[in-house]
Amino acid sequence: MSRIARLGAFIFVTLALLAAGVFEIGSKEYLFRSTYQLKAQFDNVAGLAEGADVQVGGVHSGMVRSIELPHKPGDKVTVVMDLNHSTHEIIKQDSVASIETEGVLGNQFVAISFGSAGQAEVKDGETLESAPPLVLSDLFKKTSGILDSSQKAIDNATLATAHLNSVSAKIDSGQGTVGELVNDKQLYTNLEQTTATMHDTMLQAQTGVTDFQENMEALKHNFFLSGYFKKRGYEDSSDLVADRIAALPPGTPLKVFTYRTRELFEARDSAKIKNQKSLKAGGDFLAQNQFGFAVVVVSTGMDGDTQKDLVLTEARAMVIREYLVENFGFDDSQLKTLGMGKQTGANQDADWGSIQILIYPTGSVIPADKPASVVTSSAAGVETPVQVTAAAHQKQ
Amino acid sequence: MSDRGFTGVVDVKPSLPMRQDVSAPTVVSTATGLVSGFFEWFGNLGIFSWRVLTAAFTPPYEWRELIRQLDEVGSKSMPLVLLAGAAIGVVISLEARYSLSRFGAKSMFPATLVYSVIQVMGPIITGLVVCGRVGAGIGAELASMKVSEQIDAIEASAINPFRLLAATRIVACILMLPLLTVAADASGLFTGWFAQALVEPLSFHQFISAGFSGATFSAFLPQTFKTAVYGLIIGLIACFQGMNTRGGAEGVGRAATNSVVLGSLFLILADVVLVKFILVFFP
Repeated sequence: MSRIARLGAFIFVTLALLAAGVFEIGSKEYLFRSTYQLKAQFDNVAGLAEGADVQVGGVHSGMVRSIELPHKPGDKVTVVMDLNHSTHEIIKQDSVASIETEGVLGNQFVAISFGSAGQAEVKDGETLESAPPLVLSDLFKKTSGILDSSQKAIDNATLATAHLNSVSAKIDSGQGTVGELVNDKQLYTNLEQTTATMHDTMLQAQTGVTDFQENMEALKHNFFLSGYFKKRGYEDSSDLVADRIAALPPGTPLKVFTYRTRELFEARDSAKIKNQKSLKAGGDFLAQNQFGFAVVVVSTGMDGDTQKDLVLTEARAMVIREYLVENFGFDDSQLKTLGMGKQTGANQDADWGSIQILIYPTGSVIPADKPASVVTSSAAGVETPVQVTAAAHQKQ
Repeated sequence: MSDRGFTGVVDVKPSLPMRQDVSAPTVVSTATGLVSGFFEWFGNLGIFSWRVLTAAFTPPYEWRELIRQLDEVGSKSMPLVLLAGAAIGVVISLEARYSLSRFGAKSMFPATLVYSVIQVMGPIITGLVVCGRVGAGIGAELASMKVSEQIDAIEASAINPFRLLAATRIVACILMLPLLTVAADASGLFTGWFAQALVEPLSFHQFISAGFSGATFSAFLPQTFKTAVYGLIIGLIACFQGMNTRGGAEGVGRAATNSVVLGSLFLILADVVLVKFILVFFP
């Protein structure tokens, strides 16, 4: 390598390194980029130095060009900043400059917040709004205040705990109302006695209720009241549900007896039987033949209140069942009742309705009892007896 | 004019005390001799500088010799300077990491390294290394030319030895020192980063970016170009010592030693002034 080439290489390499360094520094100093100037005024710059970073949205976007002290007291310190042109669209008239610190003891830098979308753009050399810097000594002052008030709070809590302690000690030693409650054995004994007495009272009350029931029963047979029950046809409403079934069973009945209600009962709204003799044929058949079970099915015409008529049909079925059971010899568990309420269609008497005794052959399954709480007949319950009635008519 | 001046300079005794001891009967006269010798040395240096200055700025220019000297001072010093810079980079890296982690300021590591290498260690180490290599070389070369009366021969052939020998060497030193400093800085930064990267992952780009954050030209460029003054000192002292030596081989050795010793000394003293100067004029 010739001397000149060696020298040239040396100079070239070192100058290249120098240029790299110059550009590295220059990029930090924004010498090779177009910049614009902004100013901000602070009461206190908290040790900010010339050449410090300016960050917009946390991005290094410029540097502090100079910091000028005010010319007279009462004015503010002016910080002049060079900002990269790319920030021109972000910084608006309402952007705020503040002096912040990297970490607790790090470098100071100026942070500029984003402006609002609608605001006007800043012009070169304009002065921004500023927020006072967080000075560490101020922070310590505030912290000290907080610590003082916390100390007071802790003192109060300690006092409250002491009071609580004294109160619980008093309770423990049986002083005061709560103390008596907690510590007095007598109170407990009294309470126990009271409970025992209450139990006795309950037993007596139960006996009283039984007596009352008997009295009521007697009252029903009393001269003054018996007329009502007689007219109604039955005494005890609870009997209505004793043997009733929910719906007719499937299958064809062995034998059907059909009666007109008008012929059997005294009045349209009564369950009192008047012409018992006409039931004899059905009763004899039940007494003399083997059968699975039988159902007394009662319905009324379409006049009157649905709910009342349902109860009425159940009552009539029950009364007929009672008559049959008392006067003819057969197993009374085999006879069920079914009050259909109002029914349309095949009724022989459109107003009073009809009564049927359906007798099913041996081996038929007895349908489940209708729960006592069910008041209205279901849609299925309405439809089935119409079919059955039709079948009965065919047989006749 | 230059001929007379040249002989005048050559006639001046070297300032070193041991030369005075031979004829020093009393303490007072010894002290007087020391002081006057000291000032005489400076006076002669001043005259010598002036002669070199006038010779350097008046044609004809010795381009060929200048290029030879640029190569001698610059390219040939490069490996030495790179090595010295590399060593300094590693040392500062290790020391800085230890100190900074003690204070919990590890994030400042790149900036610490960049600032200490470029502002302080790079220039001074380059100056001292070049002073040792180039200063001793110039001193010995010129001194041997002087004692073997080659300089007289040059003069006799109507060539100004200040222009041919001194000016070219001094200008070469002035021009090359800043470039060598840049090389030393680069080498130091690289090895400093490398030493750190062996311990903790840190990309070179990240290191440079963090190191130069907040950097200004006034922080680095004056520090780099002040080494031109180092170059002036090294070249001037070495040429002066070499061309003013007397005696035979002993004089040559003395000139080489003095070039290095006085050169390094003045270089460091000048740094004191330069640092203050830079702080005032490049805030």
